[in-house]
Amino acid sequence: MADNGFQLQFKERHSTLNRIYPLVKLIWVVIVAVGLFIYKSPLPGAVAFLLILFLAAVPGKIPLRQIFGSAKLIFGLGLLLMIFHFFADPGEEIFRVGFLKITDTGLMQGPVFFFRLSVVVLASFVMIWTTDPRDLMTSLAKAGMPYRMAFTVFLAMRFLPLAQREVEAVKDAHAIRGKAQHSSLGHRFKLWQRYMFTVLINGLRKAEAAAVALDCRAFGTAPTRTYVKDVHFRVADLWLPLATVVISTLLILVERGVFS
Amino acid sequence: MKLKYTTRDIVILAVIAAIAGVVNTGTGNIWYAANSSLGPLGGALLQGAFMWAYVLAVWLVRKPGAALVIGIIETSVEILLGNASGIGTIGWGITQGLAIEIVMAFGQWKNYSIWSAIAAGAAASQFGTVWTAIFYGWDPSYAKDVWLAVPINLISGAILSGLLGYYLAKAVAKTGLVRSAK
Repeated sequence: MADNGFQLQFKERHSTLNRIYPLVKLIWVVIVAVGLFIYKSPLPGAVAFLLILFLAAVPGKIPLRQIFGSAKLIFGLGLLLMIFHFFADPGEEIFRVGFLKITDTGLMQGPVFFFRLSVVVLASFVMIWTTDPRDLMTSLAKAGMPYRMAFTVFLAMRFLPLAQREVEAVKDAHAIRGKAQHSSLGHRFKLWQRYMFTVLINGLRKAEAAAVALDCRAFGTAPTRTYVKDVHFRVADLWLPLATVVISTLLILVERGVFS
Repeated sequence: MKLKYTTRDIVILAVIAAIAGVVNTGTGNIWYAANSSLGPLGGALLQGAFMWAYVLAVWLVRKPGAALVIGIIETSVEILLGNASGIGTIGWGITQGLAIEIVMAFGQWKNYSIWSAIAAGAAASQFGTVWTAIFYGWDPSYAKDVWLAVPINLISGAILSGLLGYYLAKAVAKTGLVRSAK
């Protein structure tokens, strides 16, 4: 898997979140996302954000260093989006910076979108950190997704390191032939084209071989398949989405002033 | 028109999704910076750069549903690689894939001309922007930029996805590796 600087990959930590059925975790992320699309003020988003941070750190046992290592990506884009909304949304002018004006609606909507983006992404990352992709695909196939489709995602992940190795090999081949270290943008684009095409062709060549190998093993003949590592649904795992539904509903009701 | 996907089709889709997932995750970071700081106009410039793999896959596999399938798989790979939109990324895979399917449906999945590729790229780019508007909160009723971005989106998609995907498919066909591509 690509090293994206903050190790966005599954690790078995024997935590409560690790043990939850993968499909239940996927449903939980969707519920979190739906809630964030309904909230109209920043407070529910902030509460959701803190709750997910707590979930990640305590039941998820994800080190804070790892969570905040991903902060650049999560919060950086959220902040940019918030600032854009400050200036772009219509409303009464509060403050002016040159020809740009900050509006009252923008000040309210900016944090809403900051939390919408940040919380959806953080919840997705929590799922990735605590879920083996293989288990997720198995649970999706058990839920009715055609196993050939689930297998395609597996295959894509299997091809990733091969593609990366291929890029390294092409780079080395270019270096042996005296590739310029510093060149113009046009020349770099041409090089990129060559990398891409070589990697693509080699990938397709491997695809043909892999397809023949799979056919030889009668892949896809039976309507269902068996798994070396199986995953089992437990009713108790439903605490996570159910608690999220209750908390989200409460947040929406408080926001709409039902209790005041 | 063949509907059943062979193992070969599935593996081809997986390989293209893996390569496109890596490329698009990198391109995505530049796009996010442009889209978040400059709004719809900034995002539109690069919006078309993500669907070249969809066009390529459709031209190689030549079966209904190929664009939607690769859209979902490619964006799933992006999520697992750390795309900055998390699970929201799937929204682009579905909308962009659907757009290409609609364009191909007009030709009953038999028209694989350059114009078809251009239309598919342009439509995918614009459909993807619909999801961007929902996810990023661009309200077309007050954000004029959403409308101003439409022609930029269409041109960006037509060139960066339609033409690029089409010429990549032609180049792959010349190698004789993939039998269905002509």
